[in-house]
Amino acid sequence: MRALRYLFFTTLKNRIKELRRHPSQLLLLLFLAAMLVLVVVTAGLPREGDAPLRPMAELRAMALALYAVMFLVLCKNGLSSGASFYTMADVNLLFAVPIRPQRVLFYGLIRQLGTSVLLGFFLLFQYTWLHEQYGLSVPGLLAIMLGYCLTVFCAQLTSMVLYAFTSGDEGRRRALKIVLYVLAAAAALLVALPALKPAAAQDKLAAAVAAADGPLLAFFPVAGWLKAAVGGLVGGGADLLPVLLGLGGCAAYVAALVLLIAAARPDFYEDVLKATEISFTAVTASKEGKMAEPLPANVKVGKTGLGGGRGAGAFYYKHRLERRRSRVFLLDGMALLWAVICIVFSFFMRDVGMLAVFVFATYMQIFGSSTGRWLRELLMPYVYMIPESPFRKLMGVCRESILQSAVEAAVVMIPCGLIVGAAPLVIAACAAARFGFALLFMAGHILMERLFGQVLNKALIFCLFLLVMILLALPGVVAAVAAGFLAGMGPAMLVLTFWCAAAAALVGFLCRDILNIAELNNR
Amino acid sequence: MFTVSHVTKRYGKVTANSDISFEVGDGQIAILLGPNGAGKSTIIKCISGLLRFEGEIRIDGHPNKSLEAKRLLGYVPEMPAVYDLLTVAEHLEFIARAYSLTGWEEYAASLLARFELADKKDKLGKELSKGMQQKLSVCCALLHRPKAVIFDEPLVGLDPHAIKELKDLFRELKRDGASVLISTHMIDSVEDYWDIAHIMMNGAFAATMRNDPAAPEEKTLEELFFEITEKPAAAGTEGTV
Repeated sequence: MRALRYLFFTTLKNRIKELRRHPSQLLLLLFLAAMLVLVVVTAGLPREGDAPLRPMAELRAMALALYAVMFLVLCKNGLSSGASFYTMADVNLLFAVPIRPQRVLFYGLIRQLGTSVLLGFFLLFQYTWLHEQYGLSVPGLLAIMLGYCLTVFCAQLTSMVLYAFTSGDEGRRRALKIVLYVLAAAAALLVALPALKPAAAQDKLAAAVAAADGPLLAFFPVAGWLKAAVGGLVGGGADLLPVLLGLGGCAAYVAALVLLIAAARPDFYEDVLKATEISFTAVTASKEGKMAEPLPANVKVGKTGLGGGRGAGAFYYKHRLERRRSRVFLLDGMALLWAVICIVFSFFMRDVGMLAVFVFATYMQIFGSSTGRWLRELLMPYVYMIPESPFRKLMGVCRESILQSAVEAAVVMIPCGLIVGAAPLVIAACAAARFGFALLFMAGHILMERLFGQVLNKALIFCLFLLVMILLALPGVVAAVAAGFLAGMGPAMLVLTFWCAAAAALVGFLCRDILNIAELNNR
Repeated sequence: MFTVSHVTKRYGKVTANSDISFEVGDGQIAILLGPNGAGKSTIIKCISGLLRFEGEIRIDGHPNKSLEAKRLLGYVPEMPAVYDLLTVAEHLEFIARAYSLTGWEEYAASLLARFELADKKDKLGKELSKGMQQKLSVCCALLHRPKAVIFDEPLVGLDPHAIKELKDLFRELKRDGASVLISTHMIDSVEDYWDIAHIMMNGAFAATMRNDPAAPEEKTLEELFFEITEKPAAAGTEGTV
């Protein structure tokens, strides 16, 4: 045990020491700390306007949705490819030393808990609107964050146990997958059915929220328990019973899983080996600045051949082929997730209007903009070596992403607009503006490659990207606000579209030589 | 032929290559030897146009980032450059389309047959083993019949048959008048076909040796390599990696 304690604390100490040598990581840490301070400070400020608070039940329903989706997705992924708390160094060194596997398991659990806490930090960024709409306090936000971290932790542990007990038995694994799907479908039905009843015709959303916040879904494994616990904390006057029951349930669940794996599967090393290798490959690729494409386990080859394209145009046809093979119909998995989030948000904000939905959707769009096929192309040598003009190659590799952005703008904005009840012209203008922002963000990534291609720190690059995007979009936003006052939202969005497209074209033109200047960033 | 003149490559404060100059003539095979971290891959990436650098690199007289140079250049990276979702045959089709090649099919088929990939032409890149990916990388680099070919650790991960084929290929490229540059740290794998060898240490050339059967050197390449790389850190390497 002494060796594990030494390893844990030495790793922690060295990680802190590393901050001195990597100022960008220190900056990121300071940025997160500043965000935390900002959250605490703004918590003391009075709410803007005198609009009534939205029902707290909605917040609890959203927490349940977030926890349940995370839990099910992580479990399903873990079931397919395994989940591991360990690194390759652990596998090669720790698994081989004479320490009882149960202790090694315990060491992994403690470390994973720390990682799960880090994952929940993104929730801090949601404070402003949650405070504004629901009057959420800082302790309330921290409770939601804690619930999220515990969900991730429990999901990781669950998937490890599921993988350990089903590895090598495809039938058992398939059966468990079905159980997960049934669980997800049952939860969805429990929420949807009350909303579909004739009695709920007046307010379907309220009926769905009431069902999600009801006692039945509090029994949903982990997500329901934690929603109940968090619900007891965020409601103002602390309601101890659901808190104790929820947290107690989770603690018992974790203890049961640990006991199960320690007693029934003491030799779990083999089960986590493959998962560790997979996660090691992903981490190494990420460290080297490579982006692995999420691929289906079984790719159907289908019709072979690119079917067209000469010179730089070959990239577009290649991307079309890759798109078909990765089973993307309209949008890829991540884009679809962002779209669903925006559409769900528009349900909750339908009384506020289309502008709030558009602002939120654009905010989310920033996070989804960094995953184009064109960005992955920069990590292969071919795009640099093919004898075509750099600008043509740039257009060739971006073409598929540009078309996907147009589709995505329509897929997101049309349902959102219909839910909010916006006029058709406004919906069309918002879709155009979203497409304009997609072009601007793509240009922003090109600019980042052009200026900071050598920097491998993704977090730092992302902060710089945000800054540059704000600067580039600002004149357009100002012009759009002015146009909005004069002529309404539709024309304002068209002004914004025009500005974004023009700014993107200018950046594209200025960076036209990027493929002669950029570096293959995988040293 | 290609020439490298006074090339320096820095990553921030770290100098990966320091004032390197050499040339590889037509029908010549040059070898870059050196321990890990000596800067072999960096200079190779500079020549291939994948990195920015100070100095000048010309391929057949053209600046290495010009379209003319790119048409003449083939590069086999250390890590196989293979697309997960393209089949073996589609990789070659993609290269042929991107380089606007005509009548390439027969040569592509011969390359695939030579590297035992013909029966795997409908396999996806992600389904190939690392050795097979490396072989596919070689086929992609050679399809447009480059006049200057650069190999970065090409033999790592290959099976004996592929190693033999690749060595034969080096000789054929030489015979056809191509300029070939091979980076490796496996001295015994190159001993029988090189014309000139550069030994790299700390980002610079520490020694150059010619393979002239008419005027044999006193030391073998291996002896020279160990003499250079095993001696204590020498002066003149300050500021380099």
